[in-house]
Amino acid sequence: MTVTEARTSRGPATKGAPRTAPPVRTRLRRAATPWLFLAPALLLFLYFKFIPMAEAVRMSFQEVRPFLGNTYVGGANYSEIAGKSDFGAAVWHTVVLAVATTAGSIVLGMVLALLLEGQTRSLWFIRSAIFLPVVTAMAVVAEVWRVMYYPAEGGALNSVLSVIGLGPSEFLNSPDSSLASIAFVGVWRGAPYDMMIFLAGLAGVDRVLYEASAVDGASRFRRIWHVTLPGLRPVFAILLTLAAIRGLRIFTEVFLLTNGGPDGSTEVLLTLTYKLGLERNELGVAAAGTVLLFAILLVLTVASRVRRRGVR
Amino acid sequence: MSKQLRKPEGGRRFGAIAAVLAVAAATVTGCSSGGSGQQQDDSAPLEVWIRQDAGSPAAESAEALTKAFSEESGIEAKLVAVGVTDFETKLQQRTAQKDLPDIVINDTGQLGNLVTQGLVREVDREGVAGSGDLADRAWEAAQGYDGKYYGVPFNSQAFALLIRKDWRDEVGADVPTSWDELTELAVKFTDDDPDGNGKDDTAGMVVPGTTTRGYLTWWFSTMLWSEGGGFVKKTGAGYAPAISDDASVKAVEKLQAMFCDSKVVQPGATTADSSTTHTVFESGKGGIYLTGPYMLPRFDGSLGKDKYEVVAAPPGAGGEAALAEGENVYMMAGSANEQGQQRFAEFAASPAGQKIGLGVDNGGIIVRLPVNTKVDGAAEREDPRWDVFQKVYDTAGRNAPALPNWSNVRQISSEGLNGVVSDCSRDVGRAMDELAGEIDAELEKQGAKG
Repeated sequence: MTVTEARTSRGPATKGAPRTAPPVRTRLRRAATPWLFLAPALLLFLYFKFIPMAEAVRMSFQEVRPFLGNTYVGGANYSEIAGKSDFGAAVWHTVVLAVATTAGSIVLGMVLALLLEGQTRSLWFIRSAIFLPVVTAMAVVAEVWRVMYYPAEGGALNSVLSVIGLGPSEFLNSPDSSLASIAFVGVWRGAPYDMMIFLAGLAGVDRVLYEASAVDGASRFRRIWHVTLPGLRPVFAILLTLAAIRGLRIFTEVFLLTNGGPDGSTEVLLTLTYKLGLERNELGVAAAGTVLLFAILLVLTVASRVRRRGVR
Repeated sequence: MSKQLRKPEGGRRFGAIAAVLAVAAATVTGCSSGGSGQQQDDSAPLEVWIRQDAGSPAAESAEALTKAFSEESGIEAKLVAVGVTDFETKLQQRTAQKDLPDIVINDTGQLGNLVTQGLVREVDREGVAGSGDLADRAWEAAQGYDGKYYGVPFNSQAFALLIRKDWRDEVGADVPTSWDELTELAVKFTDDDPDGNGKDDTAGMVVPGTTTRGYLTWWFSTMLWSEGGGFVKKTGAGYAPAISDDASVKAVEKLQAMFCDSKVVQPGATTADSSTTHTVFESGKGGIYLTGPYMLPRFDGSLGKDKYEVVAAPPGAGGEAALAEGENVYMMAGSANEQGQQRFAEFAASPAGQKIGLGVDNGGIIVRLPVNTKVDGAAEREDPRWDVFQKVYDTAGRNAPALPNWSNVRQISSEGLNGVVSDCSRDVGRAMDELAGEIDAELEKQGAKG
């Protein structure tokens, strides 16, 4: 609606002086049109993203006490959070979880995609079945896995382990295996998602290349290595970017499965921030933690952009 | 459309945007202005928060309490049952909005936290109608670090042991009279298949060992204090860490042994919160559970009244001690009806309010042990097991130390304790030295060092 109005309204104004530059008002209007369209989104962003973000930065320099008034404490919050041994451990756990989950999901997703590529009707059914973990609510998934990980002989997974002569494992309950157990849940949930994206990517690989390489006598493995993987390069780029963001923001799984325990062995950045902010009421320190996380992400993003530009 | 009509339309559009932006800017600045010096209105309705799950019998009792208050005082009061596990989070959100509920009924352990943040009003103990009838120990739990009162007592409780009586008969053991005997009993419960199902699926001791909300510290307090140890001790004008003292280290070694040597705790104890441990006990997977009296109705229903007994925790090297806590009625800051707040607190602590809170009819217990000495809870309930809890509270009950912020120390110590029970190879003495250092730093931060 507004588009047509804006266009028709330009007509009469320019008709009077066709060769000179349009009058100021028209130029203003022209410049304003795109902003008008953006305004609703920008307003929403302003309220729900930019103002809270700015607020977090402000809070990170204050001791936050909403009712008594905040006091400016300079960089004290930053030195406190950076000096905490928990913080270093949390960063490390977050990175380990992100890398393990991403790598596991991509490898497993790739294998699943290669196995389930095709048009057959039954494949459609299996693909949907495998995709189920992605659409299930994380809270439900975590609760189910908690039950499956029951750390005694009667537990679901431990009964399976005992059949092959292993276990019982402590799973989530021992500092040695807790992080791996959470990563496994992450892979279980992430792989089908990656599979779907791989399937879409596989559909785009030129069939002729497969046939040509087969005629040239390439083995199945060589065909995957030299034809499929290069053809999927853009898919990998997307998946890695998504996984990096998802990985560093990991919260729900950890919160519901272990809440950082036992002995802080699964504490990640966001569970630590949550604890500091909402359990210990040190909102300023928690805000400093999130600002640091933001800074890390920003540096990583910029670095990868610069690198990509350099490659080009 | 004619030219004349179109032109002003464009101008109007700009005007509209300018107006929207102006309103937005006004709202932004409005958000950051404070809300102190609230205008008072004696008939303004009260918003009452309680830490109970909506729809639970306890929430019903709280509803009955607010209703009775409204009828008596003519002041409208609306109850909000805020979930058990995320109460503090929800309160924090309202704090950020600078719009607190008028009344909050919450743990005594949260007092320091609320005071430090300036969320509660001071209470004049003498000015509270009927304050003389309220137990001194309950008033003590409403006292801040500065000695002033910041809440009106509403409910108190002490912790005692729930022991599977049928299991104890099965293994042929007596009621334990010391912590060592208790551990022996737990070993029997773990190894001797007391439920007779032929499977090795029972645990002696049910322990919520997670660090969430400091549960492990909560559970361990009774044992630590009975053994003569402590988290902090009074020194001079303030406090000093006591967790690395000999008596404390010995108690923590016993705790570690339960997890690592005798292995009497239920599987998954190091990450279990109380909702998990309730289930462990009532599903017949655990034999000894140190908990509060509020669990009796639930376990009577799920397990059966005849299956378990209530026993006071045994005395240790330091004599008898049991964690006492409870809930206060907090009058929150920024209320439009301060007089109404006080009247609500007085009503809740009065015999009439306390009796409703007992939840005798509906099983919704929000007053476990009455704080009002004129009310005999066990007699009202006609259940002598409540008397055990009452006696424990009266003779051995011990409130958490009145630090400026106890919940932070509770959180820190639960993390330290969780470390030694999760990692059996860890040296308790050294770990407790580290923990003492952390507690010391926290005390320093709170300005509570002696």
